[in-house]
This record gives sequence, structure tokens and C-alpha cells, in this order.
Amino acid sequence: MSEQLKVLTANDLAGGQVVFRTETGWSDRYADALIYDDALSADAALESARAATLTLADPYLIDVAAVEGLPVPTSYRERIRALGPTIHPDMGPQAEGGVLVHALQQARGAARSSGRLGLIRRK
Amino acid sequence: MFHYDAIDAAMVADRNAEFRDQVQRRLSGELSEEQFKPLRLMNGLYLQLHSYMLRVAIPYGALSSAKMRALAHVARRWDKGYGHFTTRQNIQFHWIKLSDTPDVLDYLTTAELHAIQTSGNCIRNTTSDPFAGAAAEEVDDPRVWSEVIRQWSTFHPEFTYLPRKFKIAVTASPQDRTAARAHDIGLVLRRNREGRLGFEVIVGGGMGRTPYIGATIREHLPAEHLLSYLTAILRVYNRFGRRDNLYKARIKILVASLGAAEFARQADAEWEAMDRPKVDLPDLELARIRASFGLVPFRTLPPRSERFEAARSDPAFARFARNNIVAHKVSGYGIVQVSLKGIGEVPGDCSADQMDALADLAEQYGHGEIRVTHEQNLVLPHVPLDDAPALHAGLVAVGLATPNINLVSDMIACPGLDYCALANARAIPIAQAIGQTFADPARAEAIGELKIKISGCINACGHHHVGHIGILGVDKKGEEFYQLTLGGSGAEDAAIGHVLGPALGADKVADAIDTLVEAYMAIRQPGERFLDTYRRTGVGPFKAAVYPDAHQA
Amino acid sequence: MLIRLENDHFHTVDDRFTAVGDDEALPDSDAVILSLARFEAEGTALLAAGRDVGVRVGPADRVEALVDVLPQLALVALDFPKYRDGRAYSTAVLLRDRYGFGGEVRAVGDVLVDQAWNMVRCGFDAFETTVGPNAWAAAARRYRHVYQASADNRAPAFAERATKARDPAARVG
Repeated sequence: MSEQLKVLTANDLAGGQVVFRTETGWSDRYADALIYDDALSADAALESARAATLTLADPYLIDVAAVEGLPVPTSYRERIRALGPTIHPDMGPQAEGGVLVHALQQARGAARSSGRLGLIRRK
Repeated sequence: MFHYDAIDAAMVADRNAEFRDQVQRRLSGELSEEQFKPLRLMNGLYLQLHSYMLRVAIPYGALSSAKMRALAHVARRWDKGYGHFTTRQNIQFHWIKLSDTPDVLDYLTTAELHAIQTSGNCIRNTTSDPFAGAAAEEVDDPRVWSEVIRQWSTFHPEFTYLPRKFKIAVTASPQDRTAARAHDIGLVLRRNREGRLGFEVIVGGGMGRTPYIGATIREHLPAEHLLSYLTAILRVYNRFGRRDNLYKARIKILVASLGAAEFARQADAEWEAMDRPKVDLPDLELARIRASFGLVPFRTLPPRSERFEAARSDPAFARFARNNIVAHKVSGYGIVQVSLKGIGEVPGDCSADQMDALADLAEQYGHGEIRVTHEQNLVLPHVPLDDAPALHAGLVAVGLATPNINLVSDMIACPGLDYCALANARAIPIAQAIGQTFADPARAEAIGELKIKISGCINACGHHHVGHIGILGVDKKGEEFYQLTLGGSGAEDAAIGHVLGPALGADKVADAIDTLVEAYMAIRQPGERFLDTYRRTGVGPFKAAVYPDAHQA
Repeated sequence: MLIRLENDHFHTVDDRFTAVGDDEALPDSDAVILSLARFEAEGTALLAAGRDVGVRVGPADRVEALVDVLPQLALVALDFPKYRDGRAYSTAVLLRDRYGFGGEVRAVGDVLVDQAWNMVRCGFDAFETTVGPNAWAAAARRYRHVYQASADNRAPAFAERATKARDPAARVG
């Protein structure tokens, strides 16, 4: 069995928007996210994100799984977070559309929410 | 309308300067996120699911047209053109940048608005009656006392770092429109037999994961001792409230663990030992605050408005008048309630254009006053009945004339997982689906008063525990499920609802509400609301309707 | 760094007290700060010996236990294990307003400059902090007015307003 796929996410400190770790930096688009397929490099990336306290707030790793060949967050919470509010399809990153946004909007069910530990403190 | 004096303005300006400095220190790295978070929360700024969210206080739920226009400007300039009115008579902007916040706060001061203590473990904005100054049955104006509490609690040096948040409600009418018994402290103004003004002091109510209806610890506290008695309660709580467990830190847990009588004994002992004249508000200041609210220049009007009666021939206006307009204490006036629960809309949301239109309508027809209710609606408290038809037409033009106050589609819903970092499930789409199910206004009226309240997690911002029907979103193995409760009430007959049965999938909730309503319609007796029928029959017929197979298992 | 507030003036002072842990041997130096538990065991003897004794009171400790010996204490140190723990503010108010303690009330532990005004208003007059006295003073004096009475006996807004009402020429704000 292969390792759990991960994506590293955070909020931009000054702007507050959701960002994802890419090959070279951080992006507002989930589609740009780097997919980690080994726990060691994911954890190392998380550690370095935690050190970036001047630009990021609350970095954490989320679980993703391949759905029809596309990497989709396994929890609906993280899908909504990557898309924007489901009641306003014109708001947030989902407004741009595209294959991956569509895949996230269609995804259902899956595993228990990840990345939620300590959220009450995060508020 | 209360106006700040130079001292009030200086207080807010000093606070904004302090927060601007704190934001700068956070962005420069001088403050860590852990250090900064409680400070930004005390200025109303949360980090939510998609963005920062700024919660702006609306003290005692009272807005002027100028304040409403300022909120519209914030929505347009720094947000995405809308705001969300909350169950605590505040407004939230969902898309604010941290780096913009000091400018937003400075702008808000131009309209005497602020975000002070709208979050954090401090004393929050005081809830008050949205009908204050307009309701015939009130014994005094609760806004006066809310302003007394606002000043006393603002930057209170001893009570800024409490075990947990602290919410106070003040009402002065027999009909409770503040959910006083679900607050940390509920204050009910009454006159005793000698005619002296005093407060019934209710302590330890609250929602969240352990809901309680508050207990009365004083039947009649002389009004002039309000601040010293509040100080005594807060001091006992600050010292002895639990700090080891977030979920057990509210005063309700302390009151429940000590027992209300022992809590009252400790508060009384603290109060007796205190230098009360030092803490209590002098009569002179009370008189100044009272005068600062000013008098509404009501006209002398006949009780019956011919224009109003003639307009009832329009069925749409007649329906609006039946459901959204209630009697005013002054002859010829009405209290007009503006529903923010349009069918298919987001409960509590209001666009910048709608805010501006309401500001204009309030100026034109309602003495420039607008109130926010804890049920996420707005109120124009002082409208001449002669002007109600024109006001109605103005509301229709901006999509704010939904005639459903207190009806099944007038739901409370928290932002839920569409916005909130803490939520387990979405609340708004559930409200939208229920709204569509009961879109027929004639059917909604036939059903009568029915309060549905929806929370996206156990923190219960949507007040589900006190809904006639409560809906709680839960995360069940990675899917959104919803648990129904029946029989709650946040009014003067306050009660906590009881769980109906196993949680339902998102697509089953609106149908289940429909089933509950049909069950009620089938067995109700004349004059019974849904809640009355439930109280008479118990859960049996409702459970059988929603879970018909349960008894076979 | 230890900052003292004396006659409305914040300045850095040398700390003549030694904080002594519960398991440490008592030093020969004159002035010591002990935990409440250790003070209850050894304090009477030390006071009888003429030593300057301070007591470190934790947030869960009941300051009422010290009432009888307060006149003999040089200082009470109130501990903030986390800056969000606000119990010490009530303790400080009780020490000043209820029990009339005139010695030093010192803030120790997680002491953040953003809390300077809370501490000063509640009656603290000494602060173990990493910021300098100027920054501390600026934060403590952030607010030109106060709304409510506290242990610092500053005139609340209502008193300022009453003064102005009596003498309209007096400036407010």
C-alpha cells in the first residue's frame, strides 16, 4: 500500500486567504499545490512552514486521495476550504472553475476530517 | 439615539491606536501568533475558514441610518459587498484582511462604531430588546442600562482575561426578545410593589455543548446597585471559574457545580464586602445617559390609519402587516420588522445596497432608527402607520419584504462550515432547503409561530438548543449529518430542546421538518403553536412521524 | 528586568529579592520570595528573624490566607503562568482595595507589555518584564480615560463628566 498523500496548507498572515505549498512557494490555488507522497518530506515542509511566522498563520497538512486521477482532499471541510463557500460559487478560488475545481465540487464522503486538531484554539 | 461624547470617542481612538500597534508588531514578528490571537480576538478579528472575519459591535442592537451607511461602505470597500447580522446583534464581515483592519476600525469611528470586545474571553456586547423605546409593556428603557454596562465593561482591567467569554442580556418587557435566560447573566427589569426599579438577576444560562437555562439568584436587585453586583458576580467567576478545560470554563459550569444557592451566597458575600459606592454608577451619570438617548419626536396621530387600512386590500401588504408589523406604544405608530430570511437567501445576510436602502427608508419613514434582533432580522421601531404602505413598497424594491417573521422560514442559522473554521457541518444550505420547502406564504401562515434554529457545531451559535425545532450539524464518519431537537425556547418560557432521534443526512433534513410540521398540524388544538402542541403531547407523535420504523427495531 | 511604578513614574530597579524555589536552600541574602506553601511552613520564623519576605501567590491560591500577615510582608508576587490567565487581576484588586496592602504587588511569569494598563489599574506596582520602562509606561498610559473605578483610584469617565458639568470650562477629552 502506498503512503497517504498530503498537501500543505496555511492562511496568509496579512491577507488571511487560504494558501497551499507549491514546488517553489505558496499559491492561493489548490490546483498549484505540491502533492507529498512521503511522510518525511511532508513533515519537513510543515516544520519549515511553522518557522515562517512572518508570512503564514496556522500551517497544517491535509490528506488527499486520487479520485479519477485527480488529487482531492478527503475531508469535505478541506474541500470547502480549497473552494470557497458552497453557497457562493462566485466567491473564493472556486470562481475560476476548471477540471480540479469541478472534481472537488463533485467529491463526496470519504474519511473523517483531517487537520482539525486544536481548531478551537486556532479560532 | 445615543451619541458618544469626547471621552467615548477618545476611548475608541486609543483602542484603535493600540490595535494598530499590535497588528504592526505581529506583522514584524515582535508578537507571536499565540500572543497576538487573544489581542486580535478582543478587537473582533477571527481567522476563519477562508479569511479573517471582523465582527463589529452594534451596542443594544441600535443603528442609525448613518451607522448603517457606514456598514455598507465597509462591505463595499473592504469586503465583498455584504455583511452578516448575528444572533448577538453584531454584524460580521467575512472577507477582511488583517493588514486592512486598523483602517477599517478607524473608518468605523466616523460613525461611532467599533469592534471592541466582540470576541475574546471578556465581557461582550450586551444584548438588549430590539423593541426598546417602542414596546408598550416595558417598565424602563433597557438601552439605558445596556449603555451603563457597555461603559463599565469596556476595558475593565480586572475582567479582560476571564476563563471564557461572558455575555449579558438586558430586557424590560414581560416578553423576552433577548434570550435572557440563555445568557451568562440575564437581567430582567421590573418594578417592585413600592414602584422601585430593580433587576431579576439570572446567572449561568448558556448554550454550547452543555446547555443550561439560567437560575435566578436575586429577585429584585435595586437598580442603582447594578454595577457593584455585576462586579461581585464577575469577581467570583474570574477567580473560581474553571480554566483547565475550555468546555467547562463558562460561568454556567461554575454555577451548576456549586449550585445556584451557593453561587448566590458567594456573590452576595463578595458584594457585601465591596466598596459599593466606589463601583456603582452615580445618579447624575445615569441621568446623563438617559438624556443622551434623546426623545423621538412622535407626532399625535389617530390610532386608526385610514391609509394603512386601505392598503390592506393589497394581499401582499396585508400579509406583511399581519406578520411583520406589531403594535407600538404610541398611537398611530407601528414596529416594522424587516426579515433577513428571504426564501433561498442566507439567514442574516444583507447586501451593501440593501443596507443603504434601509438607511434611506429609516430616515424617510422611521426617525432614522434601525434595530438588529438576536433572531438575525432588522426592525424599524418607530413607523407611522400612515407610512407603512410606502415603506413596504420600498422594502419590496430591495427584496426585504418577506412576510415571515416568527414563521417557519424565519430561521436562525450560524455561518456553518461555509465560513467557520470550527464548524462540523454546513448550516446555511440546510436553511435554504427548509425555506424552499415552506416557500408558500399561505402555508407558512397556517402553520403559525415556529422557530427553527440551526447550528453547524456544538458551540451552538445558531441557538439550536432553544429552537422549537433545533438542528445541529455533526460530522459522522466524514459526512455531514444533522441531529434534530424539539421543544426548546429562548423566550420568557425558556427551555432546552430534547433530541428526537438518530442524526439525518443533509438531504433528509427539510423533508423531516416537513413531516414534523404535518404531524403537528394533524394533532394541534385550536390556538396551539408547534411548541405548545409538543409540550402537551410530548415527543411521541413527532418521533413516530420522523422515525416510523423505530418502534419495530 | 524589574520595572517599578513609584510616584507616577516607571523606572528600572535592581531586584533586591531572591526568588527561592520550594526545593532550594534558603540563601543568606536578606530578602526572599517564597511560594505560599513554603511561606506557610517557614514564614513566621523568617519574619521573626527580621528578614524581608515576599510571597509568590499562584492563580489558584487564595490570597485570603495571607490577610493576617499582610502588614509584615514586603511584597506579594502574583504569578501569571500564561498571560491569558486573569485571576491575578482580581487578587491584586483584593490586596489593595479589600485588605489595604501597601507593599509591593509584583507581576511575575508570562507578563506581556499589552497588559501593562490592566496591571497598573488593578494595583500592581512592579513588573518583571523584558521590555524597557519607556515602552512599559507608554502601554500603561495608553488610555487617556477609564470607564470604571479600580484599585488605581483613577477618576472614571462619569466622575470626569460630573466635574465638567459643575465647571463647564473644564476640558474633557
